[in-house]
Order: sequence, then C-alpha cells, then structure tokens
Amino acid sequence: MDSFKEKNSAGSTCEFQQNLEILRQIEFFAGLPIETLKIFAYLCARETFASGEHLYSADDDDGQAFYIINGQLELAYDIEGREQTIRSYAPGEFLGGLSLLAPLRRLFALKATQDTECLVLSREKFAKAIEQFPELVPRIFKSVADSIRDWDQQRLFAISEKGLSLEGSVGISAI
Amino acid sequence: MAKPRPPIVKRSIYTWIMGRNTKLQLIVLVLIAVTVFARVLPLEMQKRIINEAIRLSDVDLLILYCGIYLVSVLAASGLKYLITVLQVMISQRTLTRMRKELFAHIISLPLGYFRNTQPGLVVSSLVSELALPANFVGMAVAVPVINLLTLVAFAVYLFFLNAWLAALSLSIYPIVVFLVPLLQRKVNQANKERVDVTRTLSDRIQETISGIHEVHGNAAYAIENDKFGSIADRLYRIRLRWDFFRASIKVSNNFFVSLGPFLIFILGGYLTIQGRLELGALVAFLSAQEKLYDPWKELIEFYQAYQDGNVTYDKTMRYFDSEPEHQLVPPDRPPLQLDGHVDVQNLAFITGDGIRLLDGISFELKPGQHMALVGFSGSGKSTLAQCVGQLYNYTDGHALLGNVEVRELTKKDMAWNMGFVSQAPFIFDGTIEDNLLYSCRAAGNEGDGAGDHYQPSLEDKIQVLHQTGIFVDTLRFGLNAMLDADRDSALVEQLVRVRQNFRKQFGETLANYVEFFDENRYLFHSSVAENLLFGTSRRRDFKTAALAENPYFIAFLEKADLKRPLMELGAELARRTVDILGNLPPEEVFFEQSPIAPDELDEFKHLARQTRRLRLHELAADERHKLLGLALRFSPGRHKTISFPELLERLILEGRSLFKKQVTEDYPDAFAFYDEGEYIFSQTIQNNIFFGKTKTTSTKAQDNIVQSIIQLLIEEDLLETIVGIGMQFQVGSKGDKLSGGQRQKLAIARVFLKSPHLLIMDEATSALDNNSQARIQNFLDRRLKGKATVIAVVHRLDIIKNFDKVAVMKAGKLIEMGGYEQLMAQKGVLYGLIQGKK
Repeated sequence: MDSFKEKNSAGSTCEFQQNLEILRQIEFFAGLPIETLKIFAYLCARETFASGEHLYSADDDDGQAFYIINGQLELAYDIEGREQTIRSYAPGEFLGGLSLLAPLRRLFALKATQDTECLVLSREKFAKAIEQFPELVPRIFKSVADSIRDWDQQRLFAISEKGLSLEGSVGISAI
Repeated sequence: MAKPRPPIVKRSIYTWIMGRNTKLQLIVLVLIAVTVFARVLPLEMQKRIINEAIRLSDVDLLILYCGIYLVSVLAASGLKYLITVLQVMISQRTLTRMRKELFAHIISLPLGYFRNTQPGLVVSSLVSELALPANFVGMAVAVPVINLLTLVAFAVYLFFLNAWLAALSLSIYPIVVFLVPLLQRKVNQANKERVDVTRTLSDRIQETISGIHEVHGNAAYAIENDKFGSIADRLYRIRLRWDFFRASIKVSNNFFVSLGPFLIFILGGYLTIQGRLELGALVAFLSAQEKLYDPWKELIEFYQAYQDGNVTYDKTMRYFDSEPEHQLVPPDRPPLQLDGHVDVQNLAFITGDGIRLLDGISFELKPGQHMALVGFSGSGKSTLAQCVGQLYNYTDGHALLGNVEVRELTKKDMAWNMGFVSQAPFIFDGTIEDNLLYSCRAAGNEGDGAGDHYQPSLEDKIQVLHQTGIFVDTLRFGLNAMLDADRDSALVEQLVRVRQNFRKQFGETLANYVEFFDENRYLFHSSVAENLLFGTSRRRDFKTAALAENPYFIAFLEKADLKRPLMELGAELARRTVDILGNLPPEEVFFEQSPIAPDELDEFKHLARQTRRLRLHELAADERHKLLGLALRFSPGRHKTISFPELLERLILEGRSLFKKQVTEDYPDAFAFYDEGEYIFSQTIQNNIFFGKTKTTSTKAQDNIVQSIIQLLIEEDLLETIVGIGMQFQVGSKGDKLSGGQRQKLAIARVFLKSPHLLIMDEATSALDNNSQARIQNFLDRRLKGKATVIAVVHRLDIIKNFDKVAVMKAGKLIEMGGYEQLMAQKGVLYGLIQGKK
C-alpha cells in the first residue's frame, strides 16, 4: 500500500498542506496565526487504528489530541466490567485538546469502531511549539474557556427545552 | 590540601594579581628590570656616538657604540615580546580560574537562589563579563611597573643630562595628569547617557513595530516618525559630545606631549648656542623626551583597564554573593554510612516572608519502611520530601537520618545515603549510559577510594533498565544504531540469521508496518539517494554525503534526466522547510522530520532566497550542489512538507537500474547492492533485520515490532549486546531525544542503580503510563521493602495500599498517619479523599 502514490495521483497537495487546511477549521486552534498553525501542521502525524483498537484507556495520560480524517471512534466507560458507550465521533471531529494543555488522566477510554485514520498531535510537541509563541497562550486559554461555556450553554438549553430539572446537570462553566 | 580560601565572591580583584600567579609575576618583574636598562642604554650610546665617536672621528668607537645600541634595541624588543606573552598567559590563566571557581560557587548555591536568577545572566557573567577583570589582572604588575620605571629612568637620565631642561620638559605632565581625568569624567557621563538613550530608542522601535497595524490603520506615520526622530536627534547630540570629549583627550594629550620638543628646542638650542650644552646631549635629550610618550600612553590605557576591570568584577561578584547552605564534601572524614532510619520531629519550614509551608511535622520510619505522602496539591508534600532530602533547609525542628541531623550533613554524605527522584527530572546531554551512571559517579568520585562500590557492572545496569521499564526503549535505540564494518563484523552473521527467521515468522504479520527492500519498487521510506544506489558504497567519494559533488554521479544524473528535476525538488524542499522552521530553535522535536539539520539552516535560508531570485542555472556551482544534496536526502515517507511527483518516482526507478549497470561496468568494486544474504552496513540493525524500513512512527506499532524481534534476538543470544549498543544512544541536549516518560524512567533508573538506603520519590512516576507505573511500584514493594526506606509523594491514590505508612497532609501539617487499612477503617481524611476520587 503506497499511500503517497494515491495522493500524488489525486492531486499535488502534500500532507503538510492538507494538515494545515484541517487545523484551520478546528475550533481549538481558532485565532492562532497561520505561522503557528504551519508549525503544528508540520508536527502532526497521521496514524491509523484498526477497528477495535484502543487509542487510550481510562487512567492513561497519553497526552494526545485527535482529528478524525476517516473512520469512527467511540468514547466508553467501564462500569464493573461492562463497557458503556458515552458517545461516538465521526470524521471531521476533533477531541483531546484539553490534554494538550496539561497532564491529564483519561476518565474514559477511546477506541476505534472502524478502521480509522487520525491526525495526531502530542502534548510534548504542542508544548515545545507553543513555547516559541508565549504570547499565544492566553488565546488558547480563551478558546478552552469558551468551549466549556458553550458546552454548558448547549446543555442548559437542551435540558430546559425538554422541561427537565437542571439540578446537578449543568453549571460546569462555573468551575 | 591548602587551607580553605574564602569563596570567590568574597575576594577582591587584587587577590588574583599574586596568589597562584606569583611566580609568573616575579619573572615578569625581573624581565622588566632588564628591559628598562636595555631601553635607556641606546640613549647613552646615542650621546656617545655624537660626542665621542663622531667628534673624534674614531671608527672603532663608532662600531662599538653602534653594536651596543643594536644589541640593546634587539634585547628590548625581545624582552618586551616575552613580557607580553607572560602577561597574556597570566590573564588567560586567571580568566580560566575565575570561571571555574565562580561556576563551582554558583552551582553550589541553594535552590532558592535560582528562582530569582536568570540562566542568561549566569551565562553572560561566566562567558563575557570576567574577561575585563582578567585582562586587568594580566596587566596589573607588568604594565604599571615597566612604564613607571621607564618613565622614571628616562626622567633621571634627563636630569642627569641637564636638570633645568629636564624640569622644564617634565613640567608638561602634571597638566596632563590634571586634565585627562577631568575629560574622562565627561566621556563617562556622555557614555552613560548614550547607553540610556540607545535603550529608549530600541524600546521606541519595538513599540512602533509591534503596533504597526495601528500605525497603518490610522495612517499615523508622521506621529511615529516624530517620536522616533526626536530620540534619534537626542542620540545624535549625545554621540557628538561623547566623540568630542574622546577626541579632545587624545588631542590634548598629543598636544601637550609634543610641546616637549618645542620647549627643548627653545631652551636647549639657546644653551647649546651658548656652549653650555653639548650637541650630543641635546640630541639625546630630544630622543629621551620623545620616548616618554609611549609609556605615558600605556599608563593612561592601564588606568582605563583598571577602572573597567574593577567595576565589572565587583558588580559580577556582588551578584553571586550568596553562600551555599551545606558543605559539599566533609573535609576531615570519609562520608558517613547511615542506615535508613528517618526521624522527623516538629519540623517547620518558614519562607523568608513568613509563610509557613511546613509546620510541626513529626514522624518516624524504621530502616526499610515505606511511607506514602498524600494530600491536596499545595499541602506541602513535595516541600517535606525536599527538606528530608536536604534540597531545602528546614527552618525549625529536626530531621534525622540514621540519627544525624540532615542539616549538619554534607552534600556528599547525602549522596552516599539518599537517592532523590524529582517531579521533573533532568537528563543531561550524553549517552543513556552516561545518564544511568550519573548518580553513581557523583557519589563515587573525588578519589577518596571509599566510593568504589558505586561501580556498577553491565548486569547491574541491565537489571535497572528492566526494573524501571526502559529496557525496551534502550533496545529500540540499539536496533536503530548502525554497526561499524571494522569493529562489529562478528555480529553480522548472527543478524543475517535473525533476518531470515524474522521473515519466516513475522514477514506477513508485520508487512503493514514495514517497507521491504525490493529492487523493482520505489521505497517511500528511504531517501532518493538510497533509491538510486540501492546499495552501500565501499568508496569514500561515493558516500551519500559526498554524492552531490561527485562528478561521476552528477554526470550519471544528467544522463538519467534527473539532474534538473532533482535540483528543482531540492529548491522546493529548501523553501518549504525554511518557511516552516526558519525561526525555530535547534531542538530535536522540530528537526526530526526535517531534511535540513539545525546547523545548516542559515545556509539554506540564504539558498532559499537565492532560488526565489535566480533561475537554477544562474546559481553558483556549490549552491546547485547543495540543492542536489538536499534532494538526495528527501524521503517522502518522512518529509511531508512537499509532494513527490510521480514522474520523478518513475525516473528514479529507471535510474536505479541504469546506475547499477553503469557502475558495475565502470567501478565493479565500488558498491555492495542490497542482497538478502548480506548485511548492509549503511542501514540500522533493525532495517537489516527487516531487510526494509518501518513505515510508522507510532510508538504502539513500534512496540509491537520490537516485541517480535526480542524473541529472535534471545534465540541468537544477542539481546544484551544490542541493549549495550542502545546504551550508547546520545540523548541530546536536556535529553530532548527522549520522551517525557523515558526521561522519568531513566531518572528513576539512575537512582535505583545507586541503591541508596533512603529513596525519596517526589511524584516520580507521574509521566508514566499505568503499566510502567505498576512495574515500578511492584519493584518497590517486592524488592526494596525492608532494604531501603522509601518516602514517596503520591498523587494517585490507587497505588498506596502496599505502603507501610500513609501520611496525609493539609496546609503544611500532617493530619493523619497510619497504615492504609487502619486509616480507611478510621474513615477520616484519607477515606474521604479516596471516596472523592471514586
């Protein structure tokens, strides 16, 4: 399997440029200048995971963020030996941004439910690169804070629309 | 050993002048005495040549005096050279000694000192600041003595010739002595202002440039130009003043000194006409007077060097004027061997501004007992561990190790008895093995002979690699090493056997991960050069690095229609790489996927600019070679920044068979082409075992691969050999070629290797995955219990069950202490913490 050949015949954009296009559309990186995104695009790696393979398990601190190019991932939680699905992720989704920022033990496990190709960025590389642009750190913080607030707001609307009690279900953005 | 000297920061600059330089300085003094004599002698000869030889028309005398004159001039020059050499020696020796002593002093300062100290300041102090003081020390004896003596000798000689005339011509110097410092003060003042204003100017520029979008947005060019212009004008005025005063020192000095001959002509001429002075004496007088100038100038320069050196020295030393908290080595006894008994009583640590980080802590650990320190972050767990480990000095109470107060122990005593693994361990440049031996070497050095038990064997080293779980990583480094055809030929046969077994057993399962060497296919994970040659050169001029300059190879590229396309590829690769990496520091993480090495970046920056400006054929020959060389390194599987044209792929494949045919005819012995039955020395061990290259960079996949290889290596009894090779892996500056987990494992391994009686681990396994953490915890429980006392600061509460004691901390206090079961049954704070986690 020579993936390079396929890409070449498909068009002349190289992997780096494709990565750059992907990163530009990810909310987490929004607001970062193109010069910085170029470095992230350069540091990203493409990895493939076979169906059933775990990308990480609960309690791991793998320090990786994933963008799904194709395939499907599933977040799962193990309750006394029974695996319960939390949600699944489709191509075009990005997850793991929080673990780029600091050591973080995974609460859930992430596994591939199909053969999946991801763009992977590791915390170590992210940290090295962001070290070069200390002035950008506040923007990253803002993007994380924004996404927590947005998420809380969406839940707030969704739950109150259904007329359910809000108690204990929302308020995460008040941390 | 000599009696202890005061620390370098307490010594004045003058102590450097003699001290260990005394011998050299004395030699200088002797040489000076002779030199001064050799300088005055020609004057006397001059007088005698005119007064005696010429007047009496005595050729013999003329030759004799001229001979003496010549000899003394030669001697004076030779001696002056010798003195300069000695002076340089003294100043360089002093510089080196100052550097070494200051460095030793700085790194012994307490950790707290470094929280407020920029590494950059230490660097500049050690690298550049000490040069001025050392320069002064080199001059300190030679320059004033030789010049003052010369001055005095000439002056005495002048008085001896004619007292009146001498007094008159020397009367100039007091004026200069008064005037020069006066002007110098003005110069210094202007210089200070110049530095300040230059700083303001650069701040101004920085502000304008960083706010450039605002300037454009408002079209505020005139405003910014005014702001900049007014400072530039001020700088202009100050610089003028500075240059004016500097010039006036020089000019007035020159002027007054050249007034000398004028006075002598007027008075001396008059006296000679009157017959009260001989013509020879007048000539000698004029010469002597002129010769006063050089020593005078040197004295003034020395005065400036003294000022600069003294000020810089004081400033530097004052900055580092702190004291180490502990003696480094016990002066009068061997380091103590303590058991691992830890007794902490009422321990407190209060910071300089009165914050109680630890308060009233008491606990006791018998030798071999293990204690987990848990609690909220900021509760003082790490601080307690660091106080027991002597990294910080507790301010009150007691911490006893083997019944000796930790505060009273020297650093060496601690190194002999304690191993400390910090939260963010540091790995130094060097090999894995160097880092593994770091703690042992530190404990065992100093040549006191008693540290010999810190000489671990290969088995010991391999054992700790296993214990800490860095064995497989090291094996992988070994597999990625290249063998040396001369040194390792014995291994080669075994490795070819491993290759055959590998194919049989794993060829199919690992086919997805490996690109096998296949003569008929393009290798996307190999470089263009490897694809073209498909073999290893046996000749120096065909080595990959030299290929782009090898005329035979270039002619071949031309013939294969590859030269221009490859050059174009090289240009594109250079532009792209420079565009992305151009402003990044030379760190491994940025350059591991780059075809350009960090030290070549500047060169390729220039080349990339050139290729934007010029056509390829307009570039200079060496520039084209550089681009060609870059293209030959290109490997599409690794360098993702440009795409690889399919046409080029086909051309290279054709080139491969053309090259083989051509080179076999022209240089039959130059190449060993890849052959499944032969070892390839230009490839890594792993690539040899595969007879191919891995396609993946994912660590998981690589672990799978390594696991498959391990069994095969064991069968051939090669495992330890390859791990031994892996231990020679260079970890890079700050260990940046290792992952965070690998660094942490290595840091634990180096302490395990020392097998200390007290082991302190400050969240030492926080960067490790679950398996590695469990492995290390297992080792602590099974192997170290009863042998070494362990204090572990623990963040994860699921690993504390097997500790003998658990201590729970909150806000600097120990609030609970006991066995795990006991505390859980008690349903106190620990119970709450664990429930909270669940």
